Amino acid sequence: MDRTNPRRALSRREWLKLSASGVAAASASGWFETLASGAAADPTRRRSCILLWMAGGPSQIDTFDPKPGHENGGSTRAIATSVPGLRIAEHLPRLATKADDLAVIRSMTTKEGDHGRATYLLRTGYAPNGPIRYPALGALVAKEMERPDDELPNFISVGPVRGFNAAAYGPGFLGPKYAPLIVGDRPLGVVQQRPGGPTPLRVEDMDAPPGIALARADDRLGLLEGLDSDFLARRPVGPASSHRSAYERAVRMVRSKAVEAFDLDDEPAVLRDAYGRNDFGQGCLLARRLIERGVPFVEVSLSRIDGSPTATWDSHQQNHDAVSRLCGVLDPAWSTLMDDLRARGLLESTLVIWMGEFGRTPKINERGGRDHFPSAWSTVLAGGGIKGGQAYGRTSRDGATVEDGAVTVPDLMATICTTLGIDPQVQNDSGLGRPIRIADPQGKPIAQVLA
Amino acid sequence: MRRGCSLGLVIAFLAGGVGIGAGPASSPLSESERALTEKVDAHLARAWAEAGVEPTQAADDAEFLRRVWLDVAGKIPTAAEARAFLDDPTPDKRARLVDNLLRSNAATNHAVNTWRNLLIPEAASNTVARVLAPDFDVWLRARLIGGVGLDVLARDLFSTPLDGRGPFTSQPSSAKSEATPLAYYAAKGYRPEDLAASTARQFLGVRIECAQCHNHPFSTWKRDEFWSLAAAFAGLQQPAQPNGGISLNAREDRSKRELEIPGTSRKVSARFPDGTEPATSKDASARQALAKWMTSPDNPYFAKAAVNRIWSQLFGIGLVDPVDDFGDANPPSHPELLEDLAAWFISSGYDRQALIRALTATRAYGLSSDVEHARPADPRLFARGPVRGLTSEQFYDSLAQAVGMPPELTANPRAVVPNGPRAALLEKFAMGDDRPTEHQTSIPQALALMNGAFVAGATDLVQGETLGAVADAPFLDDRGRVETLFLAALSRRPRPEESARLVAYVASHGSRLALADVFWALLNSAEFKLNH
Repeated sequence: MDRTNPRRALSRREWLKLSASGVAAASASGWFETLASGAAADPTRRRSCILLWMAGGPSQIDTFDPKPGHENGGSTRAIATSVPGLRIAEHLPRLATKADDLAVIRSMTTKEGDHGRATYLLRTGYAPNGPIRYPALGALVAKEMERPDDELPNFISVGPVRGFNAAAYGPGFLGPKYAPLIVGDRPLGVVQQRPGGPTPLRVEDMDAPPGIALARADDRLGLLEGLDSDFLARRPVGPASSHRSAYERAVRMVRSKAVEAFDLDDEPAVLRDAYGRNDFGQGCLLARRLIERGVPFVEVSLSRIDGSPTATWDSHQQNHDAVSRLCGVLDPAWSTLMDDLRARGLLESTLVIWMGEFGRTPKINERGGRDHFPSAWSTVLAGGGIKGGQAYGRTSRDGATVEDGAVTVPDLMATICTTLGIDPQVQNDSGLGRPIRIADPQGKPIAQVLA
Repeated sequence: MRRGCSLGLVIAFLAGGVGIGAGPASSPLSESERALTEKVDAHLARAWAEAGVEPTQAADDAEFLRRVWLDVAGKIPTAAEARAFLDDPTPDKRARLVDNLLRSNAATNHAVNTWRNLLIPEAASNTVARVLAPDFDVWLRARLIGGVGLDVLARDLFSTPLDGRGPFTSQPSSAKSEATPLAYYAAKGYRPEDLAASTARQFLGVRIECAQCHNHPFSTWKRDEFWSLAAAFAGLQQPAQPNGGISLNAREDRSKRELEIPGTSRKVSARFPDGTEPATSKDASARQALAKWMTSPDNPYFAKAAVNRIWSQLFGIGLVDPVDDFGDANPPSHPELLEDLAAWFISSGYDRQALIRALTATRAYGLSSDVEHARPADPRLFARGPVRGLTSEQFYDSLAQAVGMPPELTANPRAVVPNGPRAALLEKFAMGDDRPTEHQTSIPQALALMNGAFVAGATDLVQGETLGAVADAPFLDDRGRVETLFLAALSRRPRPEESARLVAYVASHGSRLALADVFWALLNSAEFKLNH
């Protein structure tokens, strides 16, 4: 219960250092300008990770493991890519030209066919079982990569789709310090687009209300600090230290220069167009801006086409239409992201993961849809630390079974960690007297996809 | 946040003794309630002795006051109510307060919020469920007032006739609200498996749905058992409409008791988790037989699940925790206590309010959460007051109470304006599925309270009701003003050192604006955001 040591909370002096003079001085020292110009060259640059999370479970057959010529393949054609012999579905024509950077894993095999449980499994590396609250991958990476001078949160989740399993987006036993900063949030599971167009990818309430000058805001923070340190001393428990830590992080962030990452208007219109003027496309652009400023883990979610009841990865009906429309959003956003990362010298240090919670049944149901299918499906790793230009593993001709190179969730997690320079066997305290390794020790990194 | 009511009224509200206090005429605990309180005390004391743990000191009146208001009425008291309680010298004022709170409209609202969130959590996301939620609230309300037994709620929920009639048969323009639990069925899409999963979790305390796809390795529940329970809902249908759509009103084929496990060719017929099979009858559906079975005094699950849930609402953690995960792999912390509570609950006629009266009178409920210098103990020993997060409704309604929002804008849960301040804050302060004792504050929540429009209005001398009244009150000096803001936000008087610090701040800044800063800090504090 007392996961977060209250003694580690900022002292009054440290808290006040966050106030105007302190942070302003840090910004004026110009560290960001240095970073922006020399990010790629910095030998101490952290590796970072962008997770493209496909909530709902995309069809592998209509994306990365096409089965043309078999009835299970449906009407989706396969197209050539920049890598001879590697063919993917016709819905991803631009990504096909980046195949040299992609390691397509066609042999994922899992056992969870329920959205909630599978979402938890793929996002934390562990199936939900018993009282242990496993952290999301983003929280694990955030903890391993943290540095004392971080101004932005280390785990940022853009447009999350938490309806299937909210806990799978949380920091679990690692505690609130590693909770994601959520940008472009929606009410749990809400389908419709907000009135007035795409969800703004802003952090709400970033500026003080009109009329509250910086000095007065500092006075207020001083009063609050007095109340909260008193309360925390008397009640040194998780919820109280979480409150304190959220305020510290909020103040540090809004007063940092790095917060300009959220000003997408700084980007040329033509680049914004290339990513796609939709939540996911702009979210991918935001991810690049955050990675550039040193955020180690950013995830961007895509689950459906706004306003359409059927155009969702959870394509129990009209699968072909759903997947082709979603790929119309995914393909430009992802391929532009790859180009943009490369142009800025960031691709080598950035791992890009594409995955959902499971795949979809090879057999097409009577509504033209595909149902949940955890037995044999695809994920993709790309960018830093990955040996691109290959498909790893193989499914049978009908797509029903993995025939070669089965990859489990622990294997995938071990691979991701290794790529990021994190030892998958690092242990964290679960708070229940039992240390938990980042990745289940049964997992082995897939040597063939590591660069 | 307009200054709607007259200043005189606001001052009366801040200074006088209106509303719910520990009024003079009310009954203390009944004999049977008192006996239960003593039994709980004895069970917990034994466990403390065995673990060698010394419980914390008793909560003071202010600590108890805020906790019990939040737990029973779902919000904090007004400054006036807090002052009246703290100054009341009578010894049984705590028990009388609980009793009075239980009779309040706020307590019914809170119970409706609690049960709506349990039974139709989909209302947050699913349009059909949201449209039906107000009718569901009306239906719930009638079963959560007075001493209506909790068995009535369960029985009515599962025996309500589903004959194709319902609110959607009338024109939408005749928006007269009908009390119906239809939202429960609609939110689950009338799917037998989803209804079975929710029913098992909320009323039987078991996560049987893990057995939906396969026999779960760590659970006693087998796949066939899950689908046999689901078969009790097999008769539900959504009749097709002439226009090709489907009706939102369900119809039930009462004779149907069988369903085929998807992906197999095996059929199972309705059977409840203890092996009971509903008798075939043309008058009652299997679902209605389930209602009867569930609320029979012999039912091994229902009462235990119910008392455990109420316990967790008062103590932050269930005797079985998570509360909906009863099973061999997850034993209760105090098995005998759970048995005793369940037996007492059945004999009380499933009296929710009586149970709350008895539990809030226990020594454990009245323990302080102030643990300065104490070693942290296992929270499942209940040896100190829990520190918990608030539900979004508790938080918003407390915020509204503290800042002096006129009650008519906050009392009626059906008056939620879709894009109004309540809806926006309810969403931002949604609790997620964390344990309340592990509640986390997020950066967006901190930003909303620091910079957002609601608190900005409340801490504006012109717009803020409470703040304006305190700042303008001719009968208060700075010390009195700071004290009143403490009572409004934290339901306690400031400690001497706090008072000195803040009065000095107000004096040195020489401005009424400084009072706004004090109020801002109180509303942003951990002490305000948490139940402790």
